[in-house]
Amino acid sequence: MKRFCLSAMLLAITLLAACAPAASQAHTATLFAMDTVMDLSAYGEQGEIALDNAQDLIRELEGLLSTTREGSEIYALNHGETVALSPSTRELLDRALALCGDTGGALDITIYPVVRAWGFTTEEYQVPDSQTLTALLDKVDYTQITLEGDSLLLPDGMELDLGAVAKGYTGDRLMELFRQSEIASAYVNLGGNVQVLGASPDGDPWRIGIRDPDGEGYAAVVEVTDRAVVTSGAYERYFEQGGVRYGHIIDPDTGYPARSGLISVTIVSQSGTLADGLSTALFVMGKDRAVQFWRTRDDFDFILIEEDGTVTISQGIENSFSFPGEQGSYALEVVRR
Amino acid sequence: MKSTKFWIILIAVLLCVCLAASILVLGGKTQSATARLYQGGALVRTVDLSQVDKPFSFTVEGPAGSNTIQVEPGRIRVSQADCPDQVCVHQGWISNSVAPIVCLPNQLVIQIGGSPSETEIDGVSE
Amino acid sequence: MKHTSLRQLTYMAVLTAVALTIFVIEAQLPALAPIPGIKLGLANIVTVYAVFALGPGQAAGILLARVLLGSLFAGGMTIFYSLAGGLCCYLVTLVLYRLVSGKQVWVCSVLGAMAHNAGQIAVAVAITRTPGVLAYLPILLVSGILTGLFTGLCAQFLLSRLPKAGPPGGQP
Repeated sequence: MKRFCLSAMLLAITLLAACAPAASQAHTATLFAMDTVMDLSAYGEQGEIALDNAQDLIRELEGLLSTTREGSEIYALNHGETVALSPSTRELLDRALALCGDTGGALDITIYPVVRAWGFTTEEYQVPDSQTLTALLDKVDYTQITLEGDSLLLPDGMELDLGAVAKGYTGDRLMELFRQSEIASAYVNLGGNVQVLGASPDGDPWRIGIRDPDGEGYAAVVEVTDRAVVTSGAYERYFEQGGVRYGHIIDPDTGYPARSGLISVTIVSQSGTLADGLSTALFVMGKDRAVQFWRTRDDFDFILIEEDGTVTISQGIENSFSFPGEQGSYALEVVRR
Repeated sequence: MKSTKFWIILIAVLLCVCLAASILVLGGKTQSATARLYQGGALVRTVDLSQVDKPFSFTVEGPAGSNTIQVEPGRIRVSQADCPDQVCVHQGWISNSVAPIVCLPNQLVIQIGGSPSETEIDGVSE
Repeated sequence: MKHTSLRQLTYMAVLTAVALTIFVIEAQLPALAPIPGIKLGLANIVTVYAVFALGPGQAAGILLARVLLGSLFAGGMTIFYSLAGGLCCYLVTLVLYRLVSGKQVWVCSVLGAMAHNAGQIAVAVAITRTPGVLAYLPILLVSGILTGLFTGLCAQFLLSRLPKAGPPGGQP
């Protein structure tokens, strides 16, 4: 009987071990904020409280950073008022201006008047004539902004738009909040900007799909832990006139929608702000400049999809990158340092 | 000791029950793809796309006007919208859970759940 | 359990090898359902045979050895599915083997196979945390009844051809 008892015990122990790691509880919330839909998931006991605080934080940041909402600090600055900047706004402006400088103006947070001329703010689309654009481009130059202490000096006629970095910054702040709430695993999707804390609840990295710019599915999958995955693409918002498609990402050099041959740029980085800003900047730069820029940095990786279907990724995510199922119509190129 | 007849009947009954259950399961979910329409975060309508035989459409009213939703077997789209940006119309047909259709002006979200691709990834960056 | 003779031990080793071979070959066959670890359980022919020919203790030994060694070949999470299925099948066989005659071995096998599938599904639900996996249970039970009948008749045939309670040639 001894052997039987031993066998039975072994079996029982192994079975128990298989059943033991119960799912930690998922808490989720969906809200409309910052002109988009946001999905938040936090896992663990503190998840519910953390999500409540997260929604409050999003509302607070929206109230500070919105371009269109009266009473926001950015709105006040754009209307010639002097404001004592809140620490959040100041921090974001600081980081955004640094990014504008780093990217040589491919990202420019003063592009707003041009974006408005194209109708992307009001959704009454039009192609402005070149004289209008030239005049407006005079008012586009982030280097003329001076940020000192809690005050910002914005030259007359210039306007700020933090749309290219606000969601990324919000992601960073949410991760910080979750970390302080001792959440080990969290996922947020801020209108397409994905950012995750830790690994997924089952212990594996999060598997994040990259939207297929040509279809309804996803073109690629990247596995990440503690990262922001932000994608910019011409497929998101655009209008067509006279057979030409005009995308919503404006090249600050020309005042026209960026036509760099790229249709989708994804940045994978620990910093949501950086990923958000760079996804726009690299889209404007085009592939060659984007790759050159990447070589000077070590704080992000990229996935570039070109019009002809070529996918270029940087070395750092080579092992965590895959195509779903079959590779489909994409050719893969890996850029190394 | 039971007779062999007893065992044959018992197992035949078990087989019949399991067969019936299998047919129920297989018939019930050829491909369970249910589209859920949310407005302002609240569920307003569900459409089981696998049960659609004939195409049909309906409209949903929202703060910025109406969206016309078109349904065909296995897929759904917004065919017309009053909103100026037309993002939801541009997105075209969806048949899986990868990218939900979102109409911000009307706070409308059309999300398909229950398709196998849902488990393959945790989220989509777009 | 009585003293295990060298002969009997050798016989158990041979049976384990046979079971393992069946197990490994079966692992190469295409999956029945798109859920890892779910299959027909042909290796249970040996378990059923061993319960009747050698007794429950020896059968448990063979089963455990087969599952542990088999999982070395298959790797990954397979061991949990195999152990759960094997354990459930074994327990049912243990209860039944006193209730049936030599002509009703297949009953043990059918009910054992059903228990095997139920155990595997239970583990699949626990591991994938997807209660929806349960939907596969009826389909698997149908296959369990059919393959259980087949394996049971195989075991019954073996038992009637091979001398009971020991290796060929009888007890010394």
